[in-house]
Amino acid sequence: MAIEVTQSNAVMLPTLERFRQINDAFPKTGEILEHKSKGGKVFGWLCTYVPEEILHAAGILPVRVTGYSQEMELEDGNAYLYINNCSFSRSCLQMGLRGEYEFLDGMVAGSTCDGARRLFDLWQYYIKTPFHHILTVPRKYTGKAHDLYYQQVTQFKEHLEEFLGRKIPDEQLINSIEVFNRSRALLKQLYELRKADAPPISGAETMEVLNASFRMPKETFNRWLKDLLEELSKSSITHKGRARLMVVGSVMNNPEFINSIEAQGGLVVTDELCTSTRYWSDPVVVEKGESPVKAISKRYLNNFPCARMVPSDERFNRILNLVKEFRVDGVISQIIRYCVPYAHDLPLLRDRLKEVGVPVLALDVEYGTSGSGQIQTRVQAFLEMIEARKR
Amino acid sequence: MVSETKKSKIDAIIRASRLIMRMNQANPASPKSEALYYKMLTSYYTCLLNAHDEGKFIAAHTVFFPSEILYAMDIVPMHTETTTWMMALFLGEQAEILSAGAELGLVPEICSPHRGLAGAFSLGALPRPDAMLWSNLICDNTAKSGELIMEINKCPGFYLDHPFQRSETEDKYFLGELEDMICFLEEKSGQKMDWDKLSKIVQRMDHQMELFREIGELRKTVPSPFPNRGFLQLLTTDYLCPGQPEAIEYLEALRDELAEMVRERKGAVSPERFRLMTLFVPPMYLMGFLEKIGQEYGVVSVVEPLFTRWAEGRLDPSQPLESVARKAAMIPERRSMYGPLGQEALQDLVDCAEQYKVDGAVYWAFMGCRHTCATVKLFKDLLNEVDVPVLTIDCDIVDPTINSEAEIREKMEQFFELLEDR
Repeated sequence: MAIEVTQSNAVMLPTLERFRQINDAFPKTGEILEHKSKGGKVFGWLCTYVPEEILHAAGILPVRVTGYSQEMELEDGNAYLYINNCSFSRSCLQMGLRGEYEFLDGMVAGSTCDGARRLFDLWQYYIKTPFHHILTVPRKYTGKAHDLYYQQVTQFKEHLEEFLGRKIPDEQLINSIEVFNRSRALLKQLYELRKADAPPISGAETMEVLNASFRMPKETFNRWLKDLLEELSKSSITHKGRARLMVVGSVMNNPEFINSIEAQGGLVVTDELCTSTRYWSDPVVVEKGESPVKAISKRYLNNFPCARMVPSDERFNRILNLVKEFRVDGVISQIIRYCVPYAHDLPLLRDRLKEVGVPVLALDVEYGTSGSGQIQTRVQAFLEMIEARKR
Repeated sequence: MVSETKKSKIDAIIRASRLIMRMNQANPASPKSEALYYKMLTSYYTCLLNAHDEGKFIAAHTVFFPSEILYAMDIVPMHTETTTWMMALFLGEQAEILSAGAELGLVPEICSPHRGLAGAFSLGALPRPDAMLWSNLICDNTAKSGELIMEINKCPGFYLDHPFQRSETEDKYFLGELEDMICFLEEKSGQKMDWDKLSKIVQRMDHQMELFREIGELRKTVPSPFPNRGFLQLLTTDYLCPGQPEAIEYLEALRDELAEMVRERKGAVSPERFRLMTLFVPPMYLMGFLEKIGQEYGVVSVVEPLFTRWAEGRLDPSQPLESVARKAAMIPERRSMYGPLGQEALQDLVDCAEQYKVDGAVYWAFMGCRHTCATVKLFKDLLNEVDVPVLTIDCDIVDPTINSEAEIREKMEQFFELLEDR
């Protein structure tokens, strides 16, 4: 039994359809090609610890490097990264090796996990995008860790300035912070709508919006998202499910995966994914007298943490808060095989959620999966279990 | 108090180690260094076994950890991965500890020594630590293994954060991390850092590093005097006893024996037909097999660039903590497997092949080690450019169910045929 939609899906929200078109065309979207045709530079970034505002302030279009949005044979990825690296990094590398990111003028990563750092190493060696930079990202939140990360972000900015042959003024950074904060605020509004008993937007649709957010100029994205919010406020579409679910775990871009859950009646109302909530959750706050770079570095290290960070309690507490705020009945943990940071956290997270009476369905998946028959069977059983508990 | 169950596991390692030591002593052909190695091992585990009875503080720690600090504070270190390997090697209890890890919810994609150590703690097979110390050197598994162990043992812990790259700021950050860890240990153990003791340990560590380099140089000789089984011993020496007199005693004896063999033009295998580079670590349980097949085919591993090639540089006992930090950046594993894979590291691999006159390389592709396997193709491409063929063998370093000895033998024999044909 699918989630109940009060108005036919055939009635599309026009702006949502525009976001879908961006995702369908990715990586060579009209927006990216247009930016290039005007002489603009496009940089790829990996992982949410890379401060996009720095790129944006330099007039660069930052594009998130992701893999194929469906499960694929990854012959090149397997050969270069070996089969025991996560399918996300293998998928990204394969796209790079096959020239699908040939338009990139730069590649920026953080030392966030083994998969990301090795993907960066091989990208640098075999793909040879003109500019490369990797930031040391501490795994702690201490004052010393913040000092180090501030130095890293400063160094990244200086490296970029050297590459471009010009300075990035503070005024431009302030402007970029405003643009990105606007984006974050609008996405927060979108998520607020999902707190309703019958939200006007589904989890799969939300993922379409999020995917587009890192594949197009932020200014355009903000305009479109504002339009979408207006359309939603006027729309009579509502979604109601058998249970309110939260998806946590590894990087994920495929709305079809969420769709396969929602097709069975599990309404995904929130998430803890680096492609969703963890991407937009915290704004950059520039304190009085503080440099914009300092404010940016502070935000990126303190943001809703990835499972890489220590201690894990910060991540767990944020998940528990979302569970409460969004009245979540059950959590689906989807962990890409060989995504070790999340795999290590799972037993501890499961215990924390058990303490508040929230069951967890743990799925081992491959990046790009759209939800196989086996996954659907397990989701079905999970939903039945949640319903039985409610009775 | 250490429970009987825990006591018996550690005690069993000690008994096995003592038995090998006695067998070596009884065999006049056995080199002195062999007995000294097992004496060192016995001493390490005896200290661990008796620690709680003697009122000592046990700190469990992950691999590549600066345990020099623990020794200087009179804290008893417990190297978690090595202790798990020892249990696997001497007691053959891989299946039991890995299945205990699985019961905790750790999936098979997590590196087996880390699944195993969590399993070993949950079984009560290791002494309960008074503190857990862990770091991100060398991978996500080490970085993420500490919290579950703290939870299992209900003990406090400290995570030591290694910066990914080297710069003045990053070095300063790491020094600060070490200082914070000392404060943590002083608070939890009630014991103060003995800076004079640390200085002496650093002095010995500096000598120990020189010994590693000297041994490395001796292995460049044709024929190479160093046996295949010795690799694991070199690793565990630094893992368990950095800057300890027992380690120096063992390494000096080994260095002298190898120098004597070089003078006498004796090789570890005779005749020496193929000189191999070993990439990553062969399965622990196959060390005996590798020694045997080496003798059979005249094959000797002459260099392990990821594990035994120490950086140049000295430690300064007058700056003990800075030296501990510096050493952490100089260990072979840190240089080759952590930090960006720059041109310098890649060139070093190629130089290594030439300096050690290798005929071929074997890459032990340990499926639990993602960041090293990501270099299989790259290293192969680089080595092939200098005409060094590479054999890649998928394996698990502690779990013998992944592949059989017969399967590995077949692959190696085919590779030796290829080398022969060249």
